[in-house]
Amino acid sequence: MSHLSVVLDLPPAQWHRSARHDPPLALPDFLSHVLVFLNAHIANNAENSLAVFGAFPGTSPLLYSSADPVPARLPIDSNSYPSFVHLDHAVARRVTAVLDSLGTDRAPEPSALVGAITKALCYVNRLAISPSSAAPAEHVLPDPRLLILSVSPDLATSYIPIMNSVFSAQKLKVTIDVCQVFGPDTVFLQQAAHLTGGSYIHLERRDALLQYLIMAFLPPPPIRKVLAVPTQDKVDFRAACFCHKNIVDIGFVCSVCLSIFCQPVPVCSTCRTKFPIKTLQRLNQSRPLLPSTPRSTSPKSSPGTPAGARTAPTNGANLARSISTPNELPHSSNIGSRNSNGRSHSMGGSVTNPGPSEAPR
Amino acid sequence: MPPRRELVISAADSDSDISFPDDDYDASRDKGKSKGKGRAEKKKVDKGKGKAKDSQAYTWEASYTRSWETVQEDEAGSLQTSVQELMARGRRKRLLAPAAAIRRTIIRHVILLLDLSSAMLDRDMRPTRFDLMLQYAREFILEWFDQNPLGQIGVVGMRAGLGERIGDLSGESGNPQEVLSYIKERHKLEPTGEPSLQNAIEMAKASMSHLPTHSSREIIIIFGSLTTCDPGNIHETLETCVKNKVRISVVALAAEMKICRELSDKTGGQFGVAMNEGHFKDLLFELVPPPAQRALTRTMGAPSASLSADLMMMGFPTRLPEASAPTLCVCHAELKSQGFLCPRCLAKVCDVPTDCHVCGLMIVSSPHLARSYHHLFPVKPYDAVPNLEDIPQPSDACHGCAKLFPMTTSIPIGEGVSVVGRYRCPDCRHDFCSDCDVFVHEVIHCCPGCGK
Ligand SMILES: [Zn+2]
Ligand SMILES: [Zn+2]
Ligand SMILES: [Zn+2]
Ligand SMILES: [Zn+2]
Ligand SMILES: [Zn+2]
Ligand SMILES: [Zn+2]
Repeated sequence: MSHLSVVLDLPPAQWHRSARHDPPLALPDFLSHVLVFLNAHIANNAENSLAVFGAFPGTSPLLYSSADPVPARLPIDSNSYPSFVHLDHAVARRVTAVLDSLGTDRAPEPSALVGAITKALCYVNRLAISPSSAAPAEHVLPDPRLLILSVSPDLATSYIPIMNSVFSAQKLKVTIDVCQVFGPDTVFLQQAAHLTGGSYIHLERRDALLQYLIMAFLPPPPIRKVLAVPTQDKVDFRAACFCHKNIVDIGFVCSVCLSIFCQPVPVCSTCRTKFPIKTLQRLNQSRPLLPSTPRSTSPKSSPGTPAGARTAPTNGANLARSISTPNELPHSSNIGSRNSNGRSHSMGGSVTNPGPSEAPR
Repeated sequence: MPPRRELVISAADSDSDISFPDDDYDASRDKGKSKGKGRAEKKKVDKGKGKAKDSQAYTWEASYTRSWETVQEDEAGSLQTSVQELMARGRRKRLLAPAAAIRRTIIRHVILLLDLSSAMLDRDMRPTRFDLMLQYAREFILEWFDQNPLGQIGVVGMRAGLGERIGDLSGESGNPQEVLSYIKERHKLEPTGEPSLQNAIEMAKASMSHLPTHSSREIIIIFGSLTTCDPGNIHETLETCVKNKVRISVVALAAEMKICRELSDKTGGQFGVAMNEGHFKDLLFELVPPPAQRALTRTMGAPSASLSADLMMMGFPTRLPEASAPTLCVCHAELKSQGFLCPRCLAKVCDVPTDCHVCGLMIVSSPHLARSYHHLFPVKPYDAVPNLEDIPQPSDACHGCAKLFPMTTSIPIGEGVSVVGRYRCPDCRHDFCSDCDVFVHEVIHCCPGCGK
């Protein structure tokens, strides 16, 4: 038996984009792929448990839990397995209900992925605690897993909560699998999968979603060692700065509290520590050499940056990129024909901005 | 309650287990053994952490355990009430914590000072004090690196009147395996002779003398002897430690020695006398989470000028997959597939954290930093919901784990425990069950309702 928690990322705006993108994958098609996969998980073993959470803008309800009582009046169909019908109905009904309640005039809020992930972990924690109050200790939940089907780009404000969730997943021995169904790679979820020993897949052939789900995410982690499940290629260990929530690869870190800043600051905004003037001067001098600066040439560049610091580095950056070519090796680990470009081109600096950054390369 | 316990309690520390009542806390060793049963109960409470292994720590003296003093059954013969009582204590402890972020020393340098004198051969702790110390030291090192990934540990022994360097502050890589290898070979550490606190502390101090001023220096002493044989005046050594801001913590295995107490009191460290095996481990593991600087400033009487802070430039690398074609690393010049690319010069290094061998940038993986962020942004404590009358539409299930709330009201247990089993987030106003309350505040450090 094994437990699977699934987080479905369901922001309507992003799904609308996905439906018009080529190849198109609309929300109803996505749900039907996912439901087949979930049915397969239930069918695998009668003791398998399942919980499905939805991440909508501003809300993250539980859509289905195998601990729910089966409702009395389900549409009777002699040709179908009641558990399947119950699951399909519960998910479809609740997704529709939430989407209807969202309304259209609301300012587009990012989807509550963090809420859904933390709830999924609370749910696993509940399963891990409850049987042992009766049974003797040492009850370990076998292979709990968390599958995140994400369509949202990284939300830099959720960096710390996502990392906290990752560390608690490690404590609970939960494997986090991530399938980025639409949109650019997400740095944070990549790290989450890497740190918990799960798989991260960026979907290229979106019409083949079900195939990916069944082949890569249905088998529990011990079995995957035997199968040739696609593993992650590069893991991008970048972090979000605390000051502007930019994603940075070179940061300035307070030695007291380890807060990350994208530029040298005189005072740590988290712990109010003042830094020596000398350090600031030294760091400001070394700054224009950083190749990271042009990488964040987003329209929304950090407002406080000194003007001089942004102009110089173009040459250094080009140099760095040409050096990088021998290291940008093809990855044999990908399904499909993934473009083997390095991360440096995949994402314009502002990741909160979903629009243009995921254009085909 | 003797005052020594107060230094230990860092109220903001959300990592530590639910703490134990200190009512019968007494240096007399026999009395303390009644805690055995209580500790087993504690294990039950935080089972989520999966550390049930040491629940037998007290078995050899089980017959002397006066368990009825710590655990009481309720009228129904259940232990549930006692367990809830313990959880309530944990909750109250959180409520006492300051809401604002406190400063913690996060890049730590610790010298573990092991007593290797003949007193360590005493069998009052099974199998011997020495073997138990080695075993706990190993567990301590693993746990310590888990919570202080950017820190370093060195090991110094004291035996035959000398301080003996066993292992230097572990290289650049913050790697527990290297430190564990220092104390792997038991026969090289065989206890003998008298200990010398002064010699050992001087040696420990010397091995940290190269550190930059903003880094923290700590000495953790495990001391089993009741004497120290010093060449000079140990109070002078103590003075220099205070001046150099070396924090000394002592876990004594025999009894309280005045000098040990002074060492830790004057330097802002912690002091404890282990009463039995489990208590020894507890005392040692209380030194795992990064110390709050508040504790230091309180004892020193000076406002937070304790460590000079600095801003450090760090690079967050890209990790190459195992399947990539092998290339030479810059650190060992070996052909390897795996590795990390320096974000500034794109050189490939084998392991992080390290300084880039080409451009000198400090390369760390950002999760290493992120591990300590929950100390900076703790989740606000949830309020125990006193009754359902003021709530217009009570939710029927926990907002975290979706467990249904009990329909009935339980017997009032004490302050901080909700009779309706609901705990409410002051920000998002959602209700959580008591399990989720504990889990959110002690493990996940993020409210599922607020999402931040
Ligand atoms: Zn910033
Ligand atoms: Zn700071
Ligand atoms: Zn190397
Ligand atoms: Zn470099
Ligand atoms: Zn709950
Ligand atoms: Zn909340």
